[in-house]
Amino acid sequence: MIERDIEVINKLGLHARAASKLVKLTAGFESTIKLIGRGQEVDAKSIMGILMLAAAQGTMLSLKVEGADEELATSAVEEMFADCFGEGE
Amino acid sequence: MLALHGTGVGAGIAIGKARIISKPGENIARYEIESSEIATEINRLKTSVQQAVSSLISSGEKIDGDIPEEVAALLETHAMILQDPMLLEETTKIIRQKKINAEYALSLYGKRMQKVFDEIPDPYLSSKSADIAQVIQRVQGALIESDESPEQSLSNQPDGAFDGEIIIANDLTPADTIALKKHRISGFLTNLGGPTSHTAILARSMQIPAIVGLHGALNLLRTGDLLIVDGKRGVIMAGPDERSLDAYQRRREKINRRSQALETLREAEAISLDGQRIGLFSNVELPEEVAFSARQNAEGVGLYRTEFLFMNRDELPDEEEQFAVYSEVLKSSDKPVTIRTLDLGADKQVDGGRVSEGQGTNPALGLRAIRLCLHDVGLFKPHLRAIFRASVFGKTRLMVPMLSNVEELDQLFILIEEVKQELREQGCAFDDTIPVGGMIEVPAAAVTADIFAHKLDFLSIGTNDLIQYTLAIDRIDDEVNYLYDPLHPSILRLVKMVIDAGRHANIPVSMCGEMAGNPEFTRVLLALGLREFSMDPASLLEVKQRIRMSDVALLEAVLPEIMNEMEPAKLRQKVSEMNQ
Repeated sequence: MIERDIEVINKLGLHARAASKLVKLTAGFESTIKLIGRGQEVDAKSIMGILMLAAAQGTMLSLKVEGADEELATSAVEEMFADCFGEGE
Repeated sequence: MLALHGTGVGAGIAIGKARIISKPGENIARYEIESSEIATEINRLKTSVQQAVSSLISSGEKIDGDIPEEVAALLETHAMILQDPMLLEETTKIIRQKKINAEYALSLYGKRMQKVFDEIPDPYLSSKSADIAQVIQRVQGALIESDESPEQSLSNQPDGAFDGEIIIANDLTPADTIALKKHRISGFLTNLGGPTSHTAILARSMQIPAIVGLHGALNLLRTGDLLIVDGKRGVIMAGPDERSLDAYQRRREKINRRSQALETLREAEAISLDGQRIGLFSNVELPEEVAFSARQNAEGVGLYRTEFLFMNRDELPDEEEQFAVYSEVLKSSDKPVTIRTLDLGADKQVDGGRVSEGQGTNPALGLRAIRLCLHDVGLFKPHLRAIFRASVFGKTRLMVPMLSNVEELDQLFILIEEVKQELREQGCAFDDTIPVGGMIEVPAAAVTADIFAHKLDFLSIGTNDLIQYTLAIDRIDDEVNYLYDPLHPSILRLVKMVIDAGRHANIPVSMCGEMAGNPEFTRVLLALGLREFSMDPASLLEVKQRIRMSDVALLEAVLPEIMNEMEPAKLRQKVSEMNQ
């Protein structure tokens, strides 16, 4: 299992469009992918779960990935956060 | 901005303020289930979620380039929520723990999510609970075979009170629809109904956009909300942003300009450049539609579908009820009305259970239409009696669907004679000269159209079934409907055979399938010799426009090239060149 801290740096935070991009990404991996924030652990393959985190810009989340492709999945998710979900800011 | 989706039934775009005339029912029933029923209940839930997903995806596919990106993204979010494993898992847990029905478990889950989202400080994310609520209502809609209570009457409103508004209702009763005509409404939305419901038919005849089958989605709209209704795609936007509003206003203007241009053809004759007179008739389902047909200047009704009176009800209509409805139709038209005898079975099942029993695995090839009528004389005879009795009120023509051999005709004629004899004995008046025609929609009948033509007063080609049967494809089956091709050489040849057979027997041949109402096919049909077209009255002006721009002799001259073409792509190319 891989655990990482991950920061929401994009301006709009984990809003619906970013969440749906993230779900599309995570759905492609076999590993279970969890995000933890606001005292709750949610499935990163669930759009409702991600929205429930209500993670605004600057929020710190923990990422927990476990499974056969955990390394690939972790770096892909980190990359998407770092890339501001392709929103350019 | 909030995007909702349902089944678009009237084309065009409406932009206006919402007016809710009946509150959609919020009372989702709660009932306990036995432990042994839990698995079944969970399966019901899964099936309904699946149904909601596929209906949403199909509405998403209709969204093409000119839809604002925001709307597409919203619909995509809805699809994701529906496919979210959490929705199924959490609701399943509730069903197991509380032993309650799936609909109510969904409501509980929705309330729980609402609470979670209400606590989110970010107003944007917090508002996302509306999306979840809508998705839940969509699944509930798929779960419930809706039987909601009737809504309040519209008729006590002053004329014009709702001008320019978009009417929102759980469902519209025929009484409501009549009352609605006093207002120049710009569109309507209903929770219930499908593409063939009365509401849908009304929308088409009023030529305004409408969306039906929205299920509970309407709970999210308020009177006074600014709405965009895209009837073609079945999408509603509430509180649209400026960009979407702008894009849709431009599209609406474009559509309006086009229909205004067509309006000028209303009084014009359907006559080709080289002076051929073409008969344009309309297909109708409801008595109310006959007036629309007359407004469109149709030469009469080429197809009045009687089966709609038999659908969506438990008790079959008796002779008196049928007589009243057929009389009304004939009285409201001063032009000929072609009444088609019952075309029940296949995709049109009677709810009373009478027809569906013993239904085969392939209903399209089963006991339907004239077969069913000859099999169940107790159903057919009162139907014929009602039509003959009503015939004193207008010029009536009788048309029989789905003939496949002439013995059926012989039996039909015996029954007609019996009915006439009975009516004479009972002193009931009827028109003794009603022409009897047949629909040619089974390939066997098309190939032997000359034999049928000798026994009948007219023929009418039903292209929808003719194509389905000839090409052996079920149109409703998504996996094969790409093979549905009105320009398949077999179809063109069969259509020509029927037209030629009619010509030799000196009887009129018309066409009442969808092909007749599609202006893309008008010229090739003229070339094949078709001189009578019957269609949805909304398509009439467009087809008339095409006829008025066509030179029939010229089209006939190029026909051999099309009939001899071996390559499907080249054939389509030639037909489209013909249209230029």
